[in-house]
Amino acid sequence: MEFEAVIGLEIHVELNSATKLFCDCPNNPGDEPNINTCPTCLWFPGAVPRLSRAALEKAALLCLGLNSELQQRSAFDQKVYYYPDLPKGYQLSQAHQPLSRGGWIDIVDEDGSTRRLRIHHIHMEEDVAKLVHEMEGRMPISLVDFNRAGAPLVEIVTEPDFRTPHHAMEFLKALRTQVRYVGSSECSMENGTMRVDANISIRPKGTNQMNTKVEVKNMNSIRHVGDAIAYEINRQSVAVGAGEAVILHTRLWNPDKKATLPMRAKFEGPCVPDPTIPAIILSKEEIHALRSRLPEMPAARAERFIQQYGFSVEEAAYLSSDPEVAGYCEAVVKEGVAPRTVMHWLTTQLMPAVKDRGEELNQTKVTPVRFASLLKMLTHDEINANAARDVLAQLFQSDETPGAIVNAMGFKQVSDRGELEAMIDEVLAGQPAAVADFKSGQGKAMGFLIGQVMQVSGGKANPKMIRKLLTDRLAAK
Amino acid sequence: MDSIFFYENSEHSAGSGKGALQKLKVAVQPNFSVKGWPTEAGSVALAGFKALEDAPVVERLSGAGAALIGSTAMSEFGFGLKGSCAGAAVEKKSADVELILDIAGEARLSAAREGICGFKPSYGLIPRLGLVGLIPTMETVGILAHEIAFIRDILQTIAGPDERDFSLPDEKIPDLSFQDIDPANTALGILSDVVNGLPPEERGAFNKLCEALKQDGFPIKEISFPDFSQFLLVHQIVGSVEASSCLGRYDSVRYGQRVPGAKNWNDMYLQSRGAAFGTLLKSFLFQGAFFQFEKYGAYEDACRLRARLVTQMQSLDPMADALILPTVNHAASHRTGSLIEMYAQFACTAFANVTGRPALHLRAGNGIGFQLSAKRLDDGRLLSLGRYLLSHRQGGKS
Repeated sequence: MEFEAVIGLEIHVELNSATKLFCDCPNNPGDEPNINTCPTCLWFPGAVPRLSRAALEKAALLCLGLNSELQQRSAFDQKVYYYPDLPKGYQLSQAHQPLSRGGWIDIVDEDGSTRRLRIHHIHMEEDVAKLVHEMEGRMPISLVDFNRAGAPLVEIVTEPDFRTPHHAMEFLKALRTQVRYVGSSECSMENGTMRVDANISIRPKGTNQMNTKVEVKNMNSIRHVGDAIAYEINRQSVAVGAGEAVILHTRLWNPDKKATLPMRAKFEGPCVPDPTIPAIILSKEEIHALRSRLPEMPAARAERFIQQYGFSVEEAAYLSSDPEVAGYCEAVVKEGVAPRTVMHWLTTQLMPAVKDRGEELNQTKVTPVRFASLLKMLTHDEINANAARDVLAQLFQSDETPGAIVNAMGFKQVSDRGELEAMIDEVLAGQPAAVADFKSGQGKAMGFLIGQVMQVSGGKANPKMIRKLLTDRLAAK
Repeated sequence: MDSIFFYENSEHSAGSGKGALQKLKVAVQPNFSVKGWPTEAGSVALAGFKALEDAPVVERLSGAGAALIGSTAMSEFGFGLKGSCAGAAVEKKSADVELILDIAGEARLSAAREGICGFKPSYGLIPRLGLVGLIPTMETVGILAHEIAFIRDILQTIAGPDERDFSLPDEKIPDLSFQDIDPANTALGILSDVVNGLPPEERGAFNKLCEALKQDGFPIKEISFPDFSQFLLVHQIVGSVEASSCLGRYDSVRYGQRVPGAKNWNDMYLQSRGAAFGTLLKSFLFQGAFFQFEKYGAYEDACRLRARLVTQMQSLDPMADALILPTVNHAASHRTGSLIEMYAQFACTAFANVTGRPALHLRAGNGIGFQLSAKRLDDGRLLSLGRYLLSHRQGGKS
């Protein structure tokens, strides 16, 4: 029997707001343990939580960025369970009245068609503390770091629209791009600011059954999500094929074994309305105001890149997938460099150079203005491409302008006709055989002669002018 | 006096301030955060805990010149009256005013016990920040005093929003100044279902009181409210669920008493929480956990019932300016052993906590007094009526 998978994702995204969700503590989980705590996030007696407006807005923008509909009324519930990483016996979450409902992301399927993957709802919740298990002599001890307790999260719960690992991976990549665009989170699975659980079940292909699902956790990259789903689909298909029943349970992805392994059953507690945090009321006007703060989203930007700059679909998709790169590209174009030149030099030279150096595009010394100034010298034939590559390398280290570097390094291209004519004279006098070859119809001799002139010029001659002058001279002789 | 006070503030400076409350001696219970004071809320769970900051309520009292003289012995987390000495400091004149949390009627019942006045303001008037609570949607600061004027002055001082406390509803603070009372234009409603449920002797006394009020010129209206007994049920179900969540934080992980020698964290929870709470509270918490985990539907029903009771009570408002009813359920007043018995004490008071309405226990010359209640945020008028009745009914009997 042929099976198909039914997959839904639950994605936790840690918001990058300055403070925690219910107090003014800095939202910096990585700081020295337990520095970012206060009576509220440690839930001292008498503490009253206060919802951070900034975190709420980050969450709301994220919802809008994923085409989800903000609810005019949402509210917090208490998810009741006891664990040492949870400072009060319940986690504040939105179980009954989520911040937004619906939403979707369009992805390109493996066959090139567009597939819409729907979101069921998006809700806010607080993160829990971090547990560190150590040995004190022979005694195992558990330490609790409350820096992360109360950090703002949103959980994106999808519809079970996914059928393949490809769908899940493309969805996550697009989600990451869109959330970065609205500026609510970095969405890094590697750094834990995006955490993904996958619910997977299988059914005979072509049916509409919803069978018992298995939840898979602990993937720390988008690639691992794909691998874990593929593994789990295969595992369930083999099991069902062998006549075994799929049991509702949770499994952990083990990246070393490249397998999912069952974990101890998790206790699901009840969700009780929280009596203290007032319901979140968003008027139509407030929702409209939030929507007007949305930046141009990646799909719209890609479309504009195609129309405005003449980029190909692939180029536009690549550039728009990262708001930093897209913004950088546009900034250079605005300086007056042809879009195609920017596209070419950004993707083939600058991005690899940034990556080699382990830097972030917007944090290097190669600002859009300096990069544009370099590319302008190139297009004005003041330097040639080889020189431009060398100057680019210098731009990473030096605060000098590209022009100053060109002068200092003697890269200025020789475009002076008299100078070039002198060099050509020298080469033609020294290479009679090549001249004869050219005249007898061997076109490739031209390339050789140009190379000789370049050599004489120390790489500084303007190749276009050499070609033109050489052609004229050889035709006259 | 030692038995009344849990903590005495030897450094209090009476009359230092120039505010509205200068020279007023105020006692609180140790579930009000006063910086540096032991704030154990009557529970082993908080043994040795000292408040880190003043609650806004405490800040406002100090700011208005009141002398905070100490905290009085209280029941565990203010739940019920067992172990509480509330009202005794006022009765013995060592304090002018006492503040305690009124969770199901504690302020009014303590006042009845001590023969003083006890007021539960409207829900949402007073910031909860810094109050070590138990049932967030039911409780508020209750005020005990011999004189209504003290109660009013305290309320004016402590009511109003605080920027650190977002839990208060976003509404205007009503005018709390005294108003003139014209008996002929002040209809008093009697909940006949409550009165009919009283033992014959109490019923007779209550009817006599109503007769006297009628003589004073107050129009008296009998009002039927057959569902009144459901207030207690709703309070117990919703209250236990909230209490179970509310006390979840006392897990001995971050503060409080940890029983040593636990084998693992689960064992640590069981042992520490087991040692932290008394029997009565434990049975309440078990009940809350039962509804959370096993009978969630019943809890939701109770919430719906609560909303209906609030609406029903609002529908009575056009009929009377204030309701008049007994405070004490005499049938239950002396048995406080089990949760059910303790709850029965609040049969006549819990309605105000469930609906958020203000309710005032008014002392009577040689009787045990009675209770007045009005619609939410009508606190100023209710206190005015109480003051009128006290001054015009000297020696009045309940």
